[in-house]
Amino acid sequence: MKLLNLLRLPAVLASLLAPVAVTAEHTSNWAVLVSTSRFWFNYRHLANVLSLYRTVKRLGIPDSQIILMLPDDMACNPRNAFPGTVYSNADRAVDLYGDNIEVDYRGYEVTVENFIRLLTDRVGEEMPMSKRLLTDDRSNILVYMTGHGGNEFLKFQDAEEISAFDLADAFEQMWEKKRYHELLFMIDTCQANTMYSKFYSPNIIATGSSEIDQSSYSHHADNDVGVAVIDRYTYYNLDFLETHVREPSSKQTLADLFDSYDESKIHSQPGVRWDLFPGGERGGRERLVMDFFGNVQNVEVDSVGNATEFKEDLLALGKKIAEIRERAEAQEAAKKNLSTPEPPLAGNHKMRKIRAAKVQADERSWGKTAVGVWALAGCSLVWWFGSHLESAA
Amino acid sequence: MHIILSLLLLSSACARASDYHEQLNLRPLHPSLLLASFNFQSNTSLASFEQQNFRYFPRSLGQILQHANTRELHLRFSLGRWDAESWGARPWGGAREGGTGVELWAWVEAGSDEEAEGRWLTLTNALSGLFCASLNFIDSTRTTRPVMSFEPAGDHKNATLTDLHLLHGTLPREVVCTENLTPFLKLLPCKGKAGISSLLDGHKLFDASWQSMSIDVKPSCEEGSEDCQLQITQTIDMVLDIQRSKRPRDNPIPRPVADHDLKCDTSKPYHSHDTCFPLDASGQEEDWSLAHIFGHSLKGTCPLADDGVDPVCINVPHARHVYASEGAHEHKDESGYRRCFSLAPDGEFEMVLPQQEISEKAPLEQPLLYAERSFIGYGQESGGVQAILTNPSGTESVEFVYMETLPWFMKLYLHTLKAKINGLDEDIIKEMYYRPALDRKRGTQLEVRIIIPANSTVVLTYDFEKAILRYTEYPPDANRGFDVAPAIITIGDVSIRTTSLLLPLPTPDFSMPYNVIILTSTVMALSFGFIFNLLVRRFVGIDEAEKWDVRAVRLKVLAAAKTFASRFGKREKVEKKE
Repeated sequence: MKLLNLLRLPAVLASLLAPVAVTAEHTSNWAVLVSTSRFWFNYRHLANVLSLYRTVKRLGIPDSQIILMLPDDMACNPRNAFPGTVYSNADRAVDLYGDNIEVDYRGYEVTVENFIRLLTDRVGEEMPMSKRLLTDDRSNILVYMTGHGGNEFLKFQDAEEISAFDLADAFEQMWEKKRYHELLFMIDTCQANTMYSKFYSPNIIATGSSEIDQSSYSHHADNDVGVAVIDRYTYYNLDFLETHVREPSSKQTLADLFDSYDESKIHSQPGVRWDLFPGGERGGRERLVMDFFGNVQNVEVDSVGNATEFKEDLLALGKKIAEIRERAEAQEAAKKNLSTPEPPLAGNHKMRKIRAAKVQADERSWGKTAVGVWALAGCSLVWWFGSHLESAA
Repeated sequence: MHIILSLLLLSSACARASDYHEQLNLRPLHPSLLLASFNFQSNTSLASFEQQNFRYFPRSLGQILQHANTRELHLRFSLGRWDAESWGARPWGGAREGGTGVELWAWVEAGSDEEAEGRWLTLTNALSGLFCASLNFIDSTRTTRPVMSFEPAGDHKNATLTDLHLLHGTLPREVVCTENLTPFLKLLPCKGKAGISSLLDGHKLFDASWQSMSIDVKPSCEEGSEDCQLQITQTIDMVLDIQRSKRPRDNPIPRPVADHDLKCDTSKPYHSHDTCFPLDASGQEEDWSLAHIFGHSLKGTCPLADDGVDPVCINVPHARHVYASEGAHEHKDESGYRRCFSLAPDGEFEMVLPQQEISEKAPLEQPLLYAERSFIGYGQESGGVQAILTNPSGTESVEFVYMETLPWFMKLYLHTLKAKINGLDEDIIKEMYYRPALDRKRGTQLEVRIIIPANSTVVLTYDFEKAILRYTEYPPDANRGFDVAPAIITIGDVSIRTTSLLLPLPTPDFSMPYNVIILTSTVMALSFGFIFNLLVRRFVGIDEAEKWDVRAVRLKVLAAAKTFASRFGKREKVEKKE
């Protein structure tokens, strides 16, 4: 007996350790991809976001777990010589708009308010599921933003801006609400690195395209589209993801991605912030690219100990369901008995619907005119009398 | 068009518990255009729908309708302008078409107006998630309750009819693009993978001169029986430019034609190697094929579709050559202008029309009414709208309902509403319903019933005033102008929509130089005022200042009375002198 207990010890220890090992992993992946620029000449910002969208979709994140925010319509823009398409390269090899795309927030819906509401999930009950970030404390989130920005702000649609403090507070609220496990924040805009400088919530890795007082440049233009089609920082990120992360089983780490940045090619200094991540830079560098850009691949299968136990559980469950149903039926019957004496209301109430008013010619308009004429005449009589008195004086 | 309708009616009459059929109808339009009408229709019995037993009915949409207690739904996505003068009457009599942008109307079952509004909110938000469109922007300012223009198309029970609320909303600014087509195709039983829906491609659809996508859900009951069905009809109509469609997809920008490819009229006396008069090609019918127009050929039939309906039809004279791929059977119509094809279940279907010189053309159906609408007036403060409605018929008068939904910042003056017929004032307005706007709460709704005699033109005009918005109410692209929803003209089952209007509102300058000038001017004005006061005013102690209290007022009144009295006295003296 004692020997048996001793033999069991490793198993017990393993079961104790198991949850610890599991918490280090995530169970779902989400991506929030935001472009913040309106107008045709900002074509490249939409192309940036759409190329990221294609990449995360290629690596396995489903549309239901991607929140795509596009503030303007480039694909069906009358200025677009290629209707229904967006290209991020002058070779026009890949149509980023494609045949299958789901845009969650578009046009005027892309506002600072909606973005922060999305992150913190402070939305009305009428908000459809597809427009919500339904993450939990086991979700890894990729947040990618691009647009026009400056020192500690990013402009939304050239009408309002989000500050680095707003963003930091939103992420803190997400952390407090257990809305993420780990978060990778990536931003491509001028002075991008200032946007993540105010973050103070744990488990965030942040990267940006350019230091303070540095611009973020576009990569190249397509003469037939007529505008620049992609930004440099995003271009080289994509380049890495396309050439090195070819399949979901890729073991490339974030270190590989960040080390691939070449300042002479990007024309600005990309930055990385590790200090919020547990384990700091060393812990963060070991994270796989697929932890943020791809979906969870490994499936945990609970080993079924023995079939009889499973069947017993099922039986017990079935009994419980039957019991609950019986109880519910009894309650309903009781309710019916109670409610029978009440008279039926249906058909009795009169419905008043809001309707437009019928405009009709007034039949008594002559009478009203006469009253008006009399009133006017009376007033002028009084005035005349008054002035007469004055002149008499 | 009537033929298709009757065909559809025939097939729905012998409908089973749940069925599905689809049809593509092609009609060449002048000049070198092609109207392609896709129609997808499926039925499911209402009883099984209520038990959440969806078969061909899309579950995602069905659950939204159940959740929002919506009994009948009409959703439209449209783009472009139908050129009635050269293209004739609209497909489906305009019944499957909406105004530019997005249009939604539904009959919602609710006990009160508040409840109906709540369900409408649920419905618009849920649909916005499903169709990737900003339908959630249809709020109280864009929602109307039309009185005369819309009638329920479905068969509703009399008991529920009193509880049904009609709500209508439009978003004229909304763009229609691939992300709206994607969910549309996902609602179809064959998901755009097989059957005629495989021809639908965003790159071609959104290159069209005019296009309209529609979804209609309505209950239909056979007369006298309790057996009701829920019918969902999805249509896509588009007018494609044949020459434009034939351009290669990777190089769609028109470039100058090479010299040797020019088609010249050699009969001209001045024709030489460097002079070319373009050949008149109006007598020739353009050559085209399905692959040219839609990018690829049709991928077999949808196996779920009924066999009774031919999936592809084309309206061309019988003299026109049409070559179809093997396995397809041609059925020619007696009218002489229509033929349909039944396809082989597997394999691709291709249809080729060669270039052909042919004088005979399929007749165009004349529309009942031509309508156009535009802004009149000038200035930033007020303006006017003019709608020109022409009845082309030489014999029949037309009675119609003209409905206008205006945003709240466009304040209509109803007393300026005038209808002139052939330039003369005549009482042709038969009935009028009006609901005035409330600032930031609701828009104006106006419905007018008018009769136009044969062969005459009615000009409807009214004036409005433009409101000034608050700073935060301006959209990011305020200088573009504000879209005003199209007017809806209803003539029985036929409906016509005008184009939308772009209203310029007085807009503050949001630009940086402007704001710099404003700020500098403010600083300058403040400092100038301060210095000016210092220079010009005399500053005295408070006790030295002129008193202004009750006593002072009394004294002043007394002084005034004295002067009055003295004047009166003087007059008397003057009179005495006389």
